[in-house]
Amino acid sequence: MNAPVFVRDLAKSYRVHEREEGLGAAMRALVKRRYRDVRAVDGITFEIGEGEVVGFLGPNGAGKTTTLKMLAGLLYPTSGEATVLGHTPWLRESRFLTQITLLMGNRSQLVWDIPAADSFRVLQQIYEIGESDYRVRLDELSDLLDLGPLLHKPVRQLSLGERMKVEFAASLVHAPRVIFLDEPTIGLDVTAQTRIRRFVADYNRRTGATILLTSHYMDDVVALCRRVLVIHHGKLLYDGGLADLATRMAPYKLVVVTLADGASPRFDEFGEVVASEEGRTTVRVPRESAAERTAAIIRAFEQQVVDLSVEDPPIEEVIDRVFSGERPLSQVRS
Amino acid sequence: MKLLRIYRALLTAQLQATAQYRAQAFLYVLFSVIRPIVFLAAWVAVANARGGSVGSFDVADFAGYFIALTLVSHLCMSWFAWEFEQDVAQGNLSPRLLRPLHPIHYAAAANISYKIVTSIGLLPILLLVAVSFHARFQTTLEHLLLFIPSMILAAVLSFLFDWVQASTAFWITRSSQVSFVLGRVSFIFGGQIAPLALLPGVLGTIAYALPFGYMLAVPADILRGGVDPARGLLLVGAQALWVLLFYAALQRVWRAGVREYSAVGA
Repeated sequence: MNAPVFVRDLAKSYRVHEREEGLGAAMRALVKRRYRDVRAVDGITFEIGEGEVVGFLGPNGAGKTTTLKMLAGLLYPTSGEATVLGHTPWLRESRFLTQITLLMGNRSQLVWDIPAADSFRVLQQIYEIGESDYRVRLDELSDLLDLGPLLHKPVRQLSLGERMKVEFAASLVHAPRVIFLDEPTIGLDVTAQTRIRRFVADYNRRTGATILLTSHYMDDVVALCRRVLVIHHGKLLYDGGLADLATRMAPYKLVVVTLADGASPRFDEFGEVVASEEGRTTVRVPRESAAERTAAIIRAFEQQVVDLSVEDPPIEEVIDRVFSGERPLSQVRS
Repeated sequence: MKLLRIYRALLTAQLQATAQYRAQAFLYVLFSVIRPIVFLAAWVAVANARGGSVGSFDVADFAGYFIALTLVSHLCMSWFAWEFEQDVAQGNLSPRLLRPLHPIHYAAAANISYKIVTSIGLLPILLLVAVSFHARFQTTLEHLLLFIPSMILAAVLSFLFDWVQASTAFWITRSSQVSFVLGRVSFIFGGQIAPLALLPGVLGTIAYALPFGYMLAVPADILRGGVDPARGLLLVGAQALWVLLFYAALQRVWRAGVREYSAVGA
């Protein structure tokens, strides 16, 4: 219970109105409605320690955002318990709200018609930040995010990338101890994504804030999180190191062999050939026999091998295998 | 003190935002004057056809009433229910729920700043109408002293009433229709078509038993000096009771509603 984020058997069901397509069904629904309970989060349990940056992975509709909303106090759960910094989030006590933030990549919290600097003044009063603290924090955030003149332009005149940086500053000006980030880089170009990633890493290092992040961009997760939670159909499938994820979820490795003179002999006897072009062949081999198969490849093509590497499959591929049902879920549970 | 500082910052921000939409403010002022003037013109025609008066109201009384009503309805206006439907349906409420400040304060600041900006245009127009129609105001100092609390209570009541309606958005997707229906009821029982004193028979009694008149007709009547101060005091007391009732109702509805909130989208 001492962890900044503590979650036990947390579940959330939504009641959804359901009807067949067509006019007849629409008319029937006027009189009698049919509802179905959808279990968005189905009894998940985890803890996050002080200063950790944890990635929350899962396909659309897996329950990531619903979990984040419950932990930020926006949603009441159907059952289970959670504490964030010792508070029950959905009671939304002021003491709790002043110590957390939830930044949603597709949701703006700034007043569009005025410069962000004026919205920041409102936040200063809401969070009771003293003038000198306010100045120091704003300078620091300006510095990290390179805000400069952006604060003095009306928000509606900012580009998406610029606005996102300002949104970040607005979410952090009260120096929250726990930060929930929901798709913080969605829609941003590669440069802006990289900058935001670097900022989150820096911010975590400087302040020791605890961060739980969802993203569809694996680059975000790889750059920021050593630990990941994988959720699918509302259930937690994996909780552990990012590096171990591949080991648990993908029972194979990739041997990439480049032969001299662009030769492409048959590699079928060593494993499944997944790519082959201009003398460079990628062979998928069972993880447990990777060393043995690699040695066999070297023996077979000793004179021709120019380059050879043994790699874990890309993390996107690993996750995709789990979510597409290719890998039985029972085998990946941590 | 903390709340005062927050309001100062919110108003500074909101006034800037509101001031950017001059055309909207101008159209609003025009719209808020046109409707009561149409009713005023109609009542003037009726009064003239009946030898100069209807009940206790002659043309100058009607002018005084509708001018006072325009001012009161301007200061009482609350349109939050119309916006809140979208805020709930699309999840825009979420960022405000995450702040340690009740969302009602953002709406209150937006409401006040909008009225400050638009009043600048409204007051001279009302003055012009008052002169053109030789409006009669029998206002005494006592009336003015009563009008201040009455106006404040009417504005607070209207705002709370609006918020209770808005909160139905947690359960009803098109909750603005609730406001639409209540707006029509207010049209009759709030004193927008006719002064409450002219409502026939039982309608007048019903009007004083409902909250609508306490947001509009009551302060308007006090401002034009249309009620004696003793009765005015009684009516202000009734306004205070309605405020307490709607404050309690809002507490309950809001608390239950937030539990229903599904924070759609994000």
